[in-house]
Formats: sequence, C-alpha cells, structure tokens
Amino acid sequence: MSESTGADLSFTFNGDCYEGAPGQSIAAALMASGVRELRTTRFHKEPRLIFCGIGVCFDCVVVVNGVANQRACLVEINQGDEIVSSK
Amino acid sequence: MKNPDAIVIGAGILGACSALSLTNAGFKVLIIDRGTVASGTTGAGEGNILVSDKDPGPELTLALRSRDLWFELQEDVGDSFELEAKGGVVVARSDDSQLLALARSQSAHGVVTEKLDSKRLHELEPYLHPELSSGVFYPQDAQCQPMLAAARIIQSVIARGGQLVTRSKVLGFKTENDAMSSVLTSTGEYSAPIVINAAGTWAGEIASLAGSHLPVAPRRGFILVTEPAPQYIFHKVYDSEYVVNVASSDADLQTSTVVEGTRSGTILIGASRERVGFDSTMNYEIVRKLAAQATSLFPILRDVQLLRVYRGFRPYAPDHLPLIGEDYRVKGLWHSAGHEGAGIGLAPGSAALITDTILGRPSFMDPAAFSPKRFAEVLQ
Amino acid sequence: MIAVIGAGPAGLAAAMTVAQNNEQVVVIDSAPRPGGQYWRHLRKVEGYKSGRSDKYFRALEESKKIIYIRGAQIWSAVQSENAITLNYLAAGIESSITVAKVILATGAHDRALPFTGWERPGVMTPGAAQALLKGHNVIAGQKILITGTGPFLLPVAVGLAAAGAQVAGIIEAHSPLRWLRSPVALLLNPQKSIELIYYIRKIYQYKLKVSFNRAVIAYDGRAASIATVDTELRIKETVSKIDCDVIAAGWGFTPDVTLGGILGCQQVVDRDGTVIFAVDRDQRSSATNIWIAGEATGIGGADLALVEGRIAALSALGLAIPARLRLARYRLQKFATALQVSYPVGNGWQGWIALESKICRCEEVSLGEICASVSELSANDARTSKLFTRAGMGMCQGRICSRNVSEIIAKQTQCEVTEQERIGYSNRPISAPISLGALANGIK
Repeated sequence: MSESTGADLSFTFNGDCYEGAPGQSIAAALMASGVRELRTTRFHKEPRLIFCGIGVCFDCVVVVNGVANQRACLVEINQGDEIVSSK
Repeated sequence: MKNPDAIVIGAGILGACSALSLTNAGFKVLIIDRGTVASGTTGAGEGNILVSDKDPGPELTLALRSRDLWFELQEDVGDSFELEAKGGVVVARSDDSQLLALARSQSAHGVVTEKLDSKRLHELEPYLHPELSSGVFYPQDAQCQPMLAAARIIQSVIARGGQLVTRSKVLGFKTENDAMSSVLTSTGEYSAPIVINAAGTWAGEIASLAGSHLPVAPRRGFILVTEPAPQYIFHKVYDSEYVVNVASSDADLQTSTVVEGTRSGTILIGASRERVGFDSTMNYEIVRKLAAQATSLFPILRDVQLLRVYRGFRPYAPDHLPLIGEDYRVKGLWHSAGHEGAGIGLAPGSAALITDTILGRPSFMDPAAFSPKRFAEVLQ
Repeated sequence: MIAVIGAGPAGLAAAMTVAQNNEQVVVIDSAPRPGGQYWRHLRKVEGYKSGRSDKYFRALEESKKIIYIRGAQIWSAVQSENAITLNYLAAGIESSITVAKVILATGAHDRALPFTGWERPGVMTPGAAQALLKGHNVIAGQKILITGTGPFLLPVAVGLAAAGAQVAGIIEAHSPLRWLRSPVALLLNPQKSIELIYYIRKIYQYKLKVSFNRAVIAYDGRAASIATVDTELRIKETVSKIDCDVIAAGWGFTPDVTLGGILGCQQVVDRDGTVIFAVDRDQRSSATNIWIAGEATGIGGADLALVEGRIAALSALGLAIPARLRLARYRLQKFATALQVSYPVGNGWQGWIALESKICRCEEVSLGEICASVSELSANDARTSKLFTRAGMGMCQGRICSRNVSEIIAKQTQCEVTEQERIGYSNRPISAPISLGALANGIK
C-alpha cells in the first residue's frame, strides 16, 4: 500500500522482519506491510491497531527495544529496532 | 425514609461500616452524603488494612480486631471488593535495630511477624535492590479496593432496609435538652435520636454545626500511579521509616516509601504527608522524591512510567488517635472520624465499638482511649 | 524569552510574529516534524491551499530568532513569581526551560464516539487516516469509509482519494441545509464558500459517494451498518451495510487543555459542551504571562488559529494589535459558531452501543459496567463511576472516553453533566507519562 519512498530501514516485529522508510512511524511501516494487529488488550486479549493516530489515545502501544508502552503511531522506526506487541 | 433509628453522615468507608453494623443490630439506618459514595478521603486512598505500622497500644488492638472484621465483612456482603491478605514487607534501609525492636514488641501483642534475612527477603520480593538485606514480614497486612468496599457495604445496608441519600449537605441540627433530635439538610429534615458523624475531613465542621467541637484537621498526601506493568511487586512493601513518619506530628513534608502492585497492573507509590490545610496545589518535588525512593527500593521501576498523581486529605486529631464515641456535649451524636491514613483498616472495628456502646453491650476493647471527650477540657 | 507550545498553525503564526519583531522565541512541539495535526506533511497532499504552511516551516528552519525543540513532550509546568518553568521529555531524557512568557497553542484531537464494534482493528479517527497519509505516506486500508460530522471529513476523503485510496463513501450525520441557519457567518466568510466549492469539485472528480443524515452505528470487522439518524443522532432506521476495512469516524474536536490546566489557566465550557480556555480580546489567559491561541480557546480551524496566534504574539510582545486582525478573528469566530450550529453532536449515539461494547478503550470498561456502577453502586457522577469501574484511568487518562462516560452517567441518572464535572475531567497533573527513573534523576 505504501508508495515507494525508498524503504531502506529493516526492523523486527514479534520476530518477523519488516521494512520501512526513514521518518515513518512504527505503526505506519507495519500497516504499509498489511499488519492489522499491533497489540492485544490486557484483560480481554482483543486485537488493536491504531485509533487516534496522533499520540493521544495510547491504543497502539508496543514494546520498543525492551521499553514498554511506546506509542507506535509516534515513535519513528530505526534500523534494527526490535518491536514486540504489548499484551 | 420516615423516622430512621439512626442517621449516618458520610458515605465513605467509616459511614458505610457504621451503617452496616447498626443495620445488623436491628436499626433502620439512613445514610446521607454531601457528594456521593466514597467521594471524599475513601476515594483517594490505597485501601490499606495494616497492622505493621501500629505501635503496641489501643490503636493496634483496634487494628487487629478490624482486620479480622474485614474478613467477616467479606463473608457478610460477599467477596466483591478485592479484599486480599497480601502481607506487608517492611525493609530496613540500613540499621535494622529500630525495626526489629518494634516487631518484637508488636509480636508480644498478637501481631504475626517474621524476621527476614537477606535470602528470605529477596525470595519474597525478588526485584528489591540487591543490597537491601534485612526486613520484617507481616502476613496479616491486607488490602481492599476502598471505593468498591464502601459501595458494596452500602448496597447491603440498602438491601437490608436502609437508605442512601446523596448530594445532601448538612446545614444544621435540632437538639432537645442537648440531645439529638434531627438533621437539617439541603434535601430536607431527617429526625433520629442517633446521628453518626463519619464525615471524614469535614467531621469538625459537622460537630461545629451541632454546637460542639471536634479537632480534626486535614493532612495532605500524594500517591503516584504508574502505567500498567508486569508484576514486579508481590506484597505491600514499605521503607522502615514509614512507621516513624506515620506517627509524626511535624508539619513539614515527610516522605517514606510504600510501594505496591494492584490487580489492574498499575503500581501505587506513596506516601507523603504534609499539614497544609486543604491546599491541593501540585508539588512536583514531592513527586520526584517519591519516585526516587521507590526506585531505590526497586531499581526495575526506573523504566516504568508515571501516569498520574492523586491527592488526598487525611483527617487527623492532634494526638493521632481516631475519634470514636459519643460527643461530649450533644447526646446521641456519635463521632467516627480522624483515622488519618488508617481509616479503611480501622473502619469495621470503629463501627463495632460505636454499635456496642450504643447498645450498652461489652465490646472487644475499652473505647475510652478514642473518646472525643479527651479533648473536651482543652476546647472548652 | 517567549515560549510557544505547539507547532501547528496557531503556534507557528505566533512564533513567526515574535521572530519578525526581533525577539527570541522557543518553539516546543511534541511531534518530530512541524505542522501540528493540520499541516503534517511528509510530502505534499492534495487539498485546499495546502502550500500555505511553507513560509512558516521555512521560518522555523531559517530564522535566527526561533529555537525549535522537536519531539519534546512537556510533562509538567510550574509558574513562579515572574517565570514559567516547562519540564519536557525528549528521547526519554528530561530537560527544562524557564521563560518569562508562554503562548499555548496545544491544538486538538478528533472527538470519538463509541459504536458497537469500534474497538476492532481498522476503526480509527479521520485524524489517524490523515496522519498516516500525510505524515507517513501510508494509506490506512483497502477500502475506507469516512464518517462522522463536520467539514473536516471532506479534506480527509479527498486527500485519500487523490492518493489512490478506495474511499467507500462519506457518511455525514447532518444535512448541509443546516448552514442556512447561519447566513451572516457565510456572508462574512466568502473564502470558506470558495473552499467548499473546491471540495465539491474534488468530490465529483473522484466520484466520491456522499450521504447525509446517516451514521455508522456498528462494525462487524467486514462491513459497517449504516442508519439514518435525526439531528440528535438517534437512530431512525438501519438502512444498509457497506463493506470496508477501515472506518474513519470523527465527531468534531476536543482541545488539549492539560498543560494550561496545570498552569492554572481558567477553563470554561463552550456552548457545545467542549472544555476550552477563557481568554480576553488579546488572547490572554487568566494566568499571568500566559497567552492561548488556536483550538484550545474554541474549535475554529486553521484560519482562526493563524489569526489568534498572531494576536497572542503581538500582545505578548506588548505591541498594538491591528484592527484588521481583530476583524478577521471576529469573522472567523462567527464561522466557528456556525460550525457548531451546523454540526451538533447530540446524545443519540448512546443508542448505538451494545452493553458489552467498551466505552473506555484503555481499561476495557463496557457500557454495561458503567451502567451497573450507577444502578448497583449508586455512582451519580463520572468521577465516582471511574473509581468503581476504572473507566478513564488507563494510559490515555480519559482523553478519549471521559466526556462520553459523563454523558452516559448523566443519561442514566437523568441529569445534565455539570460544568464543574466537565472541567474536572479535563484536569490532569501529569500531562505526559514520564519514567520514574527520569523523575528521580531530576531531583534538585
């Protein structure tokens, strides 16, 4: 779905490899690759993607390089990032 | 409700417990609150039911009995307020002699204590700072969700024939020959020969409206709430200085750490205490100090984020003992207030003391130490 | 020095005005790139006057008078006698800056209304779809349905269509005829009519299907259920299903009032129930040396924000404010009022939600649980219900659900939400999460 912006960063999400462009958020890069679930909720284990998309709602939180509850819609990808769904 | 037998002012935990205790003794009880259920100090508390922070004396006797009554209450109204005997771990920062001496004297008065060496301490709390090496375990320390507890208890009172009127502000009282006859409120006049003043930090104002005095003042406390985190903390964990600070009457800020996890995954960090009246101004230096103390106990918390801070006002009396018993001037006016940070823990015992005294039956302890009459001479 | 908080239209206009008058200004913004929600471009996107931001971005880069701190979230602020200290986090490191004066231009986010199935992946705000496209060059899904109310739906739909997205339709809850209630506002703002004509032409160009007086009331993961609604948003009749994998639903905007609240700026409730700041004719707040511009003083769009930003800056500099700026603000405020009249958000949405649907997305609190807190536990305001259910206590601290929870409680208790409650739920002493380690490191 992403137009070519020179996807030249690679990172992992739940162990799988993905690519993205510099300046793209984690959520954007993953959604461009067709990912429809960024995390599962704590109590009912429901899937969640992005909601507000601008850092207000915290619905898209993921673990970035070991740091929990990072907003995937805000945090830009870096080469080699290891990203894991919050559960 | 026409002609209740007793009116309880305050739908916090003390009012709720008093109302249930009286209801179970056969009274028809009306509860009124200027806000709603748990809208005062009860709604800004951690739900502590502690024996570990009490020196031997009347308050410890009350705390031990209250703690057992909490578990009886759970049976009575059903387990629906997250009551849990999670136990408390008190950690000595350096010199543990004061802590161990306190534990010895407490155990002589019925408190279950276990001295913890380094290995056992870290078994109980594996994420504690590795250099901490001594502490005491208090398995009786417990916790509940205080807002839910108040609501569920009041629910039982209503189910047993009582009534709750919210948004009802007390405007005054009518007395006959210095005996209580009715309460005048923003929602009308209610008559009853017995009125229980469980209005928390506002209990002093209620007493004044009845033409009496009750020396209750607010002490401000901040509690930090973190984001949901994995379970890093398994008990209530305190710094041994907490015990010293709780008893202090110093007006200045005191902070000593209390750290615990909750069922929802958030971590609560308390507790600061200051006597600054009802000033609710945010003080970020206190927030930093509490964060520093918590992370020095549990270094793993350094990466956990703070989400919010809430402020509560804890009612206290000059001698730091609660005010439980009949007013020294107005007959039929009973007080249950001034429990400071221990209101949740001491509520069922306080309620039982009042009900027993009203009925003229023997109670589990002599309530004289808590009598509001102890301030009568000073105030007159 | 003057600090401007926020690099959207209001903040950029304020900063440029200060710089043009040869004073030093620091711009602190939470995003990695300037523009706020309205002007977030990774690349140019089709839309009305979309090149307008260029001069502001250039000033930010080139002006020696502007210090631009990006990616910085202010978590707390303290006002002392004649200075204001702002504590912020950038890349996990805490810093602080002390300034004499502050211009708050903290903007707004989409207001979201719950409906059955709104927790499902693919349901998002129009702002999210817009941000993905403009800021990150990603189209949110295969087939996107735009719904809600208000003119902001148009640029989102047109932007997506122009980028090649398949737009399944625009479902607008109100009738455009409601604009006839505000003839003066339209006459005062002819440029807005030109903007509207621009979008109507684009809608034809991309063959977008627009329907009025309808709303998405449920989503099952594959298709959206569409119902006709009355002006209060009550369901009249379920009429169709539309296949889609993204629903972008927006119901006006909620200003970010957290930081101003911390600094003690007086808040008031706007006529549509939105909590905003009270400011005087020079955009001055009730707090000394703090000015506020843009959406936080009333939702009015980018044009109004630009004017307010300039007025705030001139006032902060102690300079005269030209009459034409005041007139422009007057015109645009009339238009903002007309927007409220044309696109009201009534309480009928409460009939769209199944009892098991979550109202608080963070803590997963359902409508049924909130109702039970009223019927079983005697809660009669949002604060008490929150203490019982945890609604509004999660990561977002009630930014998404608080207002909805209050409206639900009010309906359950047959009361109106009080102004005190509306302002109360907007107050948060910590404006962004901060790690305990960073807090501990900052001890003086």
